[in-house]
Order: sequence, then structure tokens, then C-alpha cells
Amino acid sequence: MRKKIIPYLLVSPYIVHFIIFVAFPVGFSIYLTFNNWNIISPMEFTGLNNYKRLFQDAVFWKSIFNTLIFLAIHIPLQIIVALFLAELLNQKINFRGFFRAAFFLPVIVSGVVVTILWQQLYGFDTGLINRLLVKIGFEKIGWLTNPNWAMPSIAVMATWKNVGLYIVLFLVGLQTVPPQYYEAAELEGATHMQKFLKITLPMINPTIFMVVVLSTVGGFSLFIEPYVMTGGGPLNSTISAVLYIYKQGFFYYHMGYAATLGLFFAMLILTVVMIQKKFVEKDK
Amino acid sequence: MKKTFLYIFLTAGAVIFLYPFIWMISASLASENEIGGLIFLPSDFTFNSYVQMFNKIPIGKAFVNSMIVSSCVTFGVLVFGSMVGYALSRLEFKGRDLIFYIIIFTMTLPFQITLIPQYILIVRFGWVDSYAGLIVPYLMNALAIIMFRQYFKSIPQDLIDAARIDGCGELRIIFGILWPNSIPVLVTVGIITFMTSWNEVLWPLIVIRNENLMTMPQLVTLFAVGGRAESQLGVKLAAATILALPIVTAYLFFQKYFIQSMASSGMKE
Amino acid sequence: MRTSNFLLLIAIIIIVLSCSSNSHSRRSKIIYWSSNNIEEIEFARYIVDSWNKNNPGDKVTFQPVPEGQSSEEVILAAVVGKTTPDIYSNMWEGDVEAYAEAGTLVALDTLSGFTDFLRERCDSSVIEEVTSLDGHIYQIPWKINPVMLLYNANIVKELGFNTAPRTYSEFFEAAKKFQKDTDGDGYVDRWFGYAEVIVTWWQRFFDFYPLYLAASNGAPLVKSNKAAFNNDAALKVFGFLRELYQKKYFAKERLSARQDVFLDGIIATRFTGSWEISHAEKFKPAGFEYNFSPMPVPDSHKGPVYTYGDPKNIVIFKTCPDPNLAWKFLKFALNEENDLKFLEITNQLPRRKDLNTNPKYASYFKKNPKMEIFAKQAKYVKGTDQSPVLKEVFDIISQEYEACVIYGKKTPQEALNDAEKAVNLLFLK
Repeated sequence: MRKKIIPYLLVSPYIVHFIIFVAFPVGFSIYLTFNNWNIISPMEFTGLNNYKRLFQDAVFWKSIFNTLIFLAIHIPLQIIVALFLAELLNQKINFRGFFRAAFFLPVIVSGVVVTILWQQLYGFDTGLINRLLVKIGFEKIGWLTNPNWAMPSIAVMATWKNVGLYIVLFLVGLQTVPPQYYEAAELEGATHMQKFLKITLPMINPTIFMVVVLSTVGGFSLFIEPYVMTGGGPLNSTISAVLYIYKQGFFYYHMGYAATLGLFFAMLILTVVMIQKKFVEKDK
Repeated sequence: MKKTFLYIFLTAGAVIFLYPFIWMISASLASENEIGGLIFLPSDFTFNSYVQMFNKIPIGKAFVNSMIVSSCVTFGVLVFGSMVGYALSRLEFKGRDLIFYIIIFTMTLPFQITLIPQYILIVRFGWVDSYAGLIVPYLMNALAIIMFRQYFKSIPQDLIDAARIDGCGELRIIFGILWPNSIPVLVTVGIITFMTSWNEVLWPLIVIRNENLMTMPQLVTLFAVGGRAESQLGVKLAAATILALPIVTAYLFFQKYFIQSMASSGMKE
Repeated sequence: MRTSNFLLLIAIIIIVLSCSSNSHSRRSKIIYWSSNNIEEIEFARYIVDSWNKNNPGDKVTFQPVPEGQSSEEVILAAVVGKTTPDIYSNMWEGDVEAYAEAGTLVALDTLSGFTDFLRERCDSSVIEEVTSLDGHIYQIPWKINPVMLLYNANIVKELGFNTAPRTYSEFFEAAKKFQKDTDGDGYVDRWFGYAEVIVTWWQRFFDFYPLYLAASNGAPLVKSNKAAFNNDAALKVFGFLRELYQKKYFAKERLSARQDVFLDGIIATRFTGSWEISHAEKFKPAGFEYNFSPMPVPDSHKGPVYTYGDPKNIVIFKTCPDPNLAWKFLKFALNEENDLKFLEITNQLPRRKDLNTNPKYASYFKKNPKMEIFAKQAKYVKGTDQSPVLKEVFDIISQEYEACVIYGKKTPQEALNDAEKAVNLLFLK
């Protein structure tokens, strides 16, 4: 009898925690979407109003658009840079440990530090990047103040921060490719490019998929970067999904509407990831 | 020839990744007028920015808060994670698969959906402006459970049977027998949990408004966007440097573990 | 063994949680939050110390309002999280209506002696301004910071002007003369002025709103639950600001992320309040001279020049265990003597009608001629309109401001039409 209870005792803290902090919130969140509530006043049932508002809300659509822009730049850039540097590290070289550690450093540092830092690098007049641009004869760019540049700038910064992790992952992937494969290919006279496309790429496909999924989730979770650097501006060009939830929820205390946004973004993330998964499976 | 190119690219890469940090540190040590034109080292060092920053914000207290919160969260995740991981991998009971699926479901659930209701819960529990509000929601971690489950599966059954014969209870088995044999997974889960908790900003921003309870990244964030730095750039950079210091120091010593842990957690996700 | 082990674990967890959980022990009777700038912290410390010395049985403790993106955001969070202080002295007038509606504030007119006190302190227009829609009064008018034109006196003189620019044309003329590309790289790097370009709603207190009040002689933004700002004055203000940015007289890039550009002579003017005085005195380079003048107005403007007063008021929260004691403390904190002390420590104006006439204050203004400019302006200041959605109204205006003024994507008329439409939608609910 006692033996039978033990497993349940062991998992019971998890179950309690799950019910309080996951199951109940999900249910309550859905209930909230049908209400207006600022926590201090009584809740007010509004039916489908929040949903109607959502579809007419230009900022909501803008935040999705911004996320897509972010992903369109962030994902390819990340894969290319990470693969390139991983390939270099995979050669016979000295100081491999040092280089790997250097590339990895931004990964472990708090995003706050990175954003404060890059805000200075991106500065218009005294920013380092613009000073370099002018020196080599280019025009200054309003990295964070030009609505067309702000989101791409954030995407580049995010790549700088995260790419070290993917370098390491790709390196692991590259090292799983048996050297015989390359030797055989060389015997048949394959070029570098062919070797890469036919041997390397298929072997690291799972890693690429992982980069895509993690970046997608990351893109929809973007918060601290626009919060510190741009506040969502200029012209809402960097307002992200989470920043918009934060603004509606913890700035105006429109809890019902913020919950509706959260629900929608969550569904969107799951859908996008599922589609990406289908893509990879079909590829195989 | 090829080698030379290789090193040129790698060095360029290293410069791109390291230079901003070097700039940050030297700018935080430069005088306020010099920062604008600073490229490498300031002409004369001054700790003025640091002195001002320490006078303006309770950064020391924030460091202690961050330590308390991250340690409690890490401890909880290790203890509960191994308990559940053990039950799922080594014990037979009804509903085991269901619990496993729940854990997988939790892992894929985007946090955007639970953010608002979790905050409301914290309000109702009266945990706004308390350590509990920062710690309790993070005591369980689905990924950690999965990692423990995976690892415990590889431990020989003999070890557990022998302990049972010696009259060990299940908790004894977990913490007395399995833990000493699971150092790699403990280190991995520990590092990831501690780092994630240490670097978290959104949740503290929502739950904590009392300056004396703020975590370090939260305090620095608010310092960077708020008005108290009196538009003194060096002071902001000093705050950022101090914030980076603890984790970077740990990284310098345990670099290999950091990279391995992060990589292995990435693989699983 | 097993169960005891398990119990031990649970006990540890409970201890961890209970140690950490919120224990607001009340060592003092009243908790008071002040604003968190250095000068006001100093004043709060002074006032609390002198109260506690005379009333050791009724101890008051103070704490600066926690850091946040804005104190308004922090207070709202405190109200929601039920972690409000008993007294808060930095309440933005525009927020009071919403809190009063939600029943979180003490109606002060129910406390004995309040009405007489208020009548003695303020004239009828101010009393009207702070009276809520339900007829009660939930706030004590405490202080104002009129927004004025801060200018670099040396530069204005060098440009050949005797006074700071008063009208839009004069402003443009001076701006054109000052604008320069000093290092010859093809970019303007010296602008006549700078206003924060970010969209955060309250930034408009320092550009659009005071200019609008100046141009319209103090007209409201919303009136009887309708947008009231789509008028000639707002049109002129949007046009004025838009031209400043288009001709690059104002910097469009964020300058606030670097050193103080005003003290460095990179800009010549700012729209700001008297708190700049202590900042400037602390950091200004040798020989630097500055002064204040009223906000610029349209060329056709007649009458006094109004501006935004940035009033901050004092409220007592319903969570206060002893509102009468809190009120007694406030009466002490706001008496003639202490208002003078406030003026001396913070360089901000107490909101009382005898500021310019009471001899108590005259010697202060004689010693601080720059503050006298603000005191004179104090006769022509406006607060905000009473509306529970005022923050959203400012947010909408700010969005349109960004599109029209900063990026030139809309004409002023289009921007105002869109803002009016969006604001009226707010009231439909």
C-alpha cells in the first residue's frame, strides 16, 4: 500500500505547481479574454469585444509584422554566421578554445548589458558604428531612430548575442560527420561546395531546424531589447509581441485585452513552429 | 596561405565579439567628456562613474537579492526536478504517461499566455514585492525534469536495488545514491537554471516595484531607462559592467561547463 | 524514515517560502512616499524628521517612490498589488480621477478642516481643477513646475538677440542662425533645441502640451467626454513643431543617451522646468549662462502666455489606517514655513495663491531671480483635464505627434483628425 503512494508523493509537488501556475492560468486567461478588468475595479463581461478590437488593432498587426521582419533577418543571418564560424573552428587550428570562448561570451551575459552597450554603438552622432561609416566615406544611419532600420538593427544585435550558442551546436554537428565521407567524396573529385551541400548540410539539418525554432520563439519573446533601446518606436516599428502585451497589461492594466493578445501570440507561435516542423519532416 | 586567412577571419570574429565589452569597461572608467570620442583606452582612469552609481542605486542589495532568488530557484529545480525525474524513469505507477505528456505540454506552452494570469495570481496571493513572487513560480522546470529522467534511465538498476536492500527510502535513493552518480546532469541543470534566473528581467519588472527587493538586471534596466542617471552615460555603463561582472567571472572559471550545459540544453529543446 | 525525510523537505520549503514572503511590519503609524529626485528626497527627510521630533508617538516614515519608467506606472502597480503607501506626494493630477473611481483614495473633503485649508491655500480655479467628477476632492494641490523655455543666454546674445525668442517666427529666425554642421561632415550637429523624440505619453508634457496651452490660452484637451483639441491652436503647434524637425532645427536623433547636450552647447534651448536649475548649477562649465522665458507662441497671439504647470498633488490611500493622523501630518508639511523650506531645498514652487505676495517668500525670490520667473509664470499655468482615460488620450496624441511632427508622414490636420477620432472612440465604451 505504502509503496503505491510513493510515486504520487514524489510527483505531487509538481502536480500542485502545474495546477496553480500552468493549468489554472491557461483557463483563467481564456476566461479573461471575454472581460474587461483592471484588477482594481470589478470585472466587466464584454463578450467578444476584445477579439473584435484585436482584429482592428493596427498596433497588434504591426507587432506581428515587426516580428516577421525580425525573423526574416535574424534566422538566416544566424545560420550563415554560425555555420561559417563553426566551419572555421572545425579546422585544425591553435587557440580553438579561446576563439570558442570569445564567441560564446555574449550568450551568457544578461540581455540588459547587451542592449545598453549596443544602444551606444548604434548612436547617431557619437556611436561607434556611424563614426566608422563616416570614416570610410558612407552616410550616417539612424540605426534606432529610422523606422526602416530600427528592427533590423535589433535583429543584428540579437544575432551577435545568440550566435555563439549556435556555433557550438553546429560544431558538435560537424564533428559527428564521419571523416570517411569526405575522403570518399574527395576521391570522386567533389568540390568544396559539393561536399558542403551533399554531406555537411544533411548531417546538420536537425541543428538548423533547432536554430529556426529557437529563433522563432525568441523573436516572439523579444522584450528587453525594444524596452531599453527604443520603447517600441519609432512609429511602432520595434513594438514586439511581448512588449505590446506588457504595455496593455502593465501600463494600462487592460488585463482582458492583454490576455487576448497573449492567447493569440501563443497560438501563433505554436502554429508557426508546427509548420516549420512539417517542412523539415517533408525535406527528409 | 589558407591558414592565414583562417586566422584573419577568426581574429576579426573575436574582435567583433569582444571589443564592445572592452569598450564598455574602458568607457565606464573614462571621464564623462571623453566617452563620446573614446575608441580604446581612456587617457586617464577614474572610478567616478562607479562611485556615483553606488550612491544612486542600491546595487549591492540588488546583488544579494539576485543571489537569494537564483539560489532558491536552482535548489528547487534540482530537488523537485530529480524527484519527478526519478519517479518517471524508475517507478511504475498509474498515470505516469499522462504526467509525462503534461510535462511535454508545459514545455511547448509559450509563456505569453500565462504571463497575465500568473501576475494576477501573485497579486491575489499577496506576493507582489516579495521573494516568493519571484521564486515560487519558477520552482519547477519541465526541461530539468526531462533531463533528469533521461539521465536516471542510464543508471544501472543494480545500484538502486542494492540501496533498497540496505533499507533506503526513495528520497535516500534519489539524494544519497543517484545524485553522487549524476554530477554532469546536476551541473548542467544547475548552470542553466541559475543563469536563466539571474538574467530574467520581465518577471521581476512585473512583480517587484520595491527598490530594496529588485534583482540586479531589473535595477540596472530601470536605471538605464529611468531618469536617475541624470543623463550621465558613464554611470549607466558602470552599472552595466557591474551587472555583467558576476556571470563573466563565473564563466572565466567554469567556461567549459557553461558551454557544454548550454549546448546540451539547446539540443533537448 | 521515508516519511520523516519527506516531511523534512517540505519543512525546508515552507521555511524558505515563509522567510521570503511579504511581511510588512508596521513600525510606524504612517508610511509616506515622496518623489525620487535627490532634492525632494532631501526635503522629505527634513519634514519627516522635524515631525517625528515633535510627535514621537505618531511616527512617520518615508521612502522615495520606487524607480520605474515613470512614477505613474509604479503607483498604479502599487494600487493593484495593494502595496500602496498611506501618503503619496507625487500624484499626477491626470491619474486621480481613475483611482477615485476605483475607490482607492480617501475623499479629503470629509476630513475636518480640509475645506477651509484648501480655500486658504488656493484660489477657486485651482479648487475647481482638483474637484473630481463626483464632487469630492481626493487630492491636495501641492506643487507646480511650469514648463518654460530654457535658453543658453550666451548663445542668444551671440546670435544678436536681446531676449529669447517669443514667437514662432522669432524662434525660427534664431534657430536658422544657430543650426550648423561644425565638423563639416555633411550632418547638422548643432541644433537650436531638443525635445525627447520617444512616444512615451508624458514626454508630450514637455513639447506639445505646454505649447498647446500657450497657443490656446489654456484650452482643455477633452471636454465633457469628447476630444476638444482639434482646433486652430493645436494645428499651429503641430505645424510649428513639424517645421522645426523638417528644417533640422531640432535634433531627430536621441541625444539623451549621451552627455548633457544643453550644457555642452550642442543645443541652445529646451522646454523644461525649474529643476534644471539645480542640475545646471551642479554640472555647468565655467562661464555658462542660462535663463528661462515663456513658451513661444504663434505670431498672432494675444494675452498672457499659459503653460503646463506639471502639478503634483498629495493623496491619502484608503489603505491608510489613520487618515486623520495623515491629514494632521500633511497640514504640518504644507504650512507656510515648510513651503518655504520646500522652495529652498527643491527649487520647485508650492502651489499657493500667496506665492508672489507673501513677504515670507519675497526674500527667497530676491536671492533666486530665476525662480522668480517661474513664480510669475505660476499665475498662468494649467494642470490637466479631469478624465479617467487621460493617459490614453496623451498616448494617442503622442502617436500622432510622432507620425506628423517627427517623421512628417501626416499633415498636422490629418494627425489631429486621426487623434480626435481615436480619442472619441475611447469614450464610446
